Amino acid sequence: MDGERAVSTEPSESTAVVRGRDLVRRYEWGAAGLFGDDAPPAVRAVDGVSIAIRGGEMVGIAGPSGSGKSTLLHLLAGLDLPTAGTVTLAGTDTADYGERGRARLRLEHVGVVFQRFHLLPALSARANVALPLVELGEPKSRRRERATELLEAVGLGDRVTHRPGRLSGGEQQRVAIARSLATEPDLIVADEPTGELDSETGERVLSALGDVADDRAVVLASHDEQALAVCDRRVPLRDGKRADDERDADGTGG
Amino acid sequence: MGFRRLGALAALAVRRVLGRFRTSPARVSMSTVGVALAVGLMVSVTAISLGLASESVVASEETDYWIVPEESNVQSLAVSTGSVQLGDVHRASAHIGADDRVEYAVPVLLELVPVADAVTGEREYVLVAGVVSRPEAELLGLSLRPLTPGDPHYANGSYDGPRTGEAILNEAGATSLNASAGTTLESPRAPNRSFSVVNVSAGGTSTAFGTVPVAVVHLSELQAVTGSAAGDQADQILVSTDDRSVRGSLERSYPRTTVVRSNGLAAQRVSTSNLPLAIAVSGAATAVLVGVLFVATLMGLAVSGDSESLGALAAIGLSRRSRSVLVAVETVTVAVLGGACGLVLGMLGIVAINGAGRATLGLEPVATFDPLLVGLAAGVALLIGVLGAVYPVLLSRRTSPLEVLSR
Repeated sequence: MDGERAVSTEPSESTAVVRGRDLVRRYEWGAAGLFGDDAPPAVRAVDGVSIAIRGGEMVGIAGPSGSGKSTLLHLLAGLDLPTAGTVTLAGTDTADYGERGRARLRLEHVGVVFQRFHLLPALSARANVALPLVELGEPKSRRRERATELLEAVGLGDRVTHRPGRLSGGEQQRVAIARSLATEPDLIVADEPTGELDSETGERVLSALGDVADDRAVVLASHDEQALAVCDRRVPLRDGKRADDERDADGTGG
Repeated sequence: MGFRRLGALAALAVRRVLGRFRTSPARVSMSTVGVALAVGLMVSVTAISLGLASESVVASEETDYWIVPEESNVQSLAVSTGSVQLGDVHRASAHIGADDRVEYAVPVLLELVPVADAVTGEREYVLVAGVVSRPEAELLGLSLRPLTPGDPHYANGSYDGPRTGEAILNEAGATSLNASAGTTLESPRAPNRSFSVVNVSAGGTSTAFGTVPVAVVHLSELQAVTGSAAGDQADQILVSTDDRSVRGSLERSYPRTTVVRSNGLAAQRVSTSNLPLAIAVSGAATAVLVGVLFVATLMGLAVSGDSESLGALAAIGLSRRSRSVLVAVETVTVAVLGGACGLVLGMLGIVAINGAGRATLGLEPVATFDPLLVGLAAGVALLIGVLGAVYPVLLSRRTSPLEVLSR
């Protein structure tokens, strides 16, 4: 919320739901040319960032475009692997898993909210929310029950059979939030969740996210001050590094 | 992957496909139309091949079963003679006919025989059918009533019984030979064995090329002309019965023969006849090729266009295998929908082909519908779906969840 909290509340090793330690994500574009041209320089999208987030905490990753917010979010959610450093999610190092294992890890432990909602247009709101439960192999009755319950929790109990095309942007994002909670994950990552919404609608969506997050860890990447203002703590990034440089001796800020 | 998850993913895929007809119908409709055209074409072509194959059938409404040689290679009616034959047919037919459940069993020998024109003496080829006559039976559209019942010349295999020399002609035969009732017919193949026309009938059998000149005579008398008497040979045995349980007995009565029900004869002929089989196989192969190219290309484009959704599914935890199942079932669903439309198109095609043939050339139905075509269309559509799914599935496997989060 405020600057004081932002630098003082990184959780300890034992209480963190997700922890990134000395994270580096380097992208290399192409190789050296046939005629001795130099290879293009590698880009360090994330450069030595350590971060830890505990349950019940909403952390905002702030920074301008190109500062590495989304890349850090991908690493924490197990969507990508760091070039160096480790991400510990649900007690395990994400690098220990192959793609299938990380998909399962995300399914069970991470809820994802996208900037552009990414609901399947052919399916109803309820079917969209129930998607992760399909992968879990839940029976249909259980899927319907859980999805309806979540849609009611985000204030869309009267829209369960509506397709995304018949919902407003704010409603679609609330459906996406409900979907992110379907498997009761420990961590919710949201990449610019208000990026496609007007400020009033964005406020409602963030309020819904805060209401349903309960004791889950929420990481929100945004350059929207309104979105960052609702976070318990913010981690500013600049050029792939933490701009607050608040790491303590063990490098985690804990 | 558990059954429940597989079922749920399949249901999801079907809903996505049906939903696309509402939300973004262009590609999915094009894919469906592509398969429909391919399957429709195949159904029409196969119906024509069935029509061609049916021409070799010595059919009548009273006939319920045909016993034909297992390796029969009968083609169209015009070239159906000279194929693998059954032997000892008089005794076998009598044995089958002795069964209380069988109304009658008639052996039939088909031969193209040169017959001298009654006026000019010119040689004309006539399809001659040799039968053991039954007054109640009908052959090639001609009633056998005018022939003396039985086969007197056979005389228990001695071929020294009284020779009737009776022949029934259809109108096409009478016209081409300038013959009428009472005319004597002679064949250059057996100058001393003439036949006398006892009746000219309006019936007959037609092909796509018009009505065939047909003569029906006693079996043993035809065998004597063509040299088939040695093994008492014939092409097929027609069986009339009201009792379906007789089929088992028929199958046991002759080793290395095939017993075909009347409604399965055309399809059986397609499977054992070179020309119709070649047409049918070409039709199916073309349909599969065209269908697969259509479906693979358009569903591939659909997958590329839908990479954001697939990436989102990957991001929320759907495994690569689940996404592959989703795309594969979607492709198969499109192909099956196309197959159903194609079947309807094909049936309309059959009606159109037959209508055009009748209106322009006065031909009898050229294309024949068989219930088997429904199964064939479904099978080909399924095959198109399965083969066409390979490319979209490979494309979908390259989708990364990072693609959507970055947008």
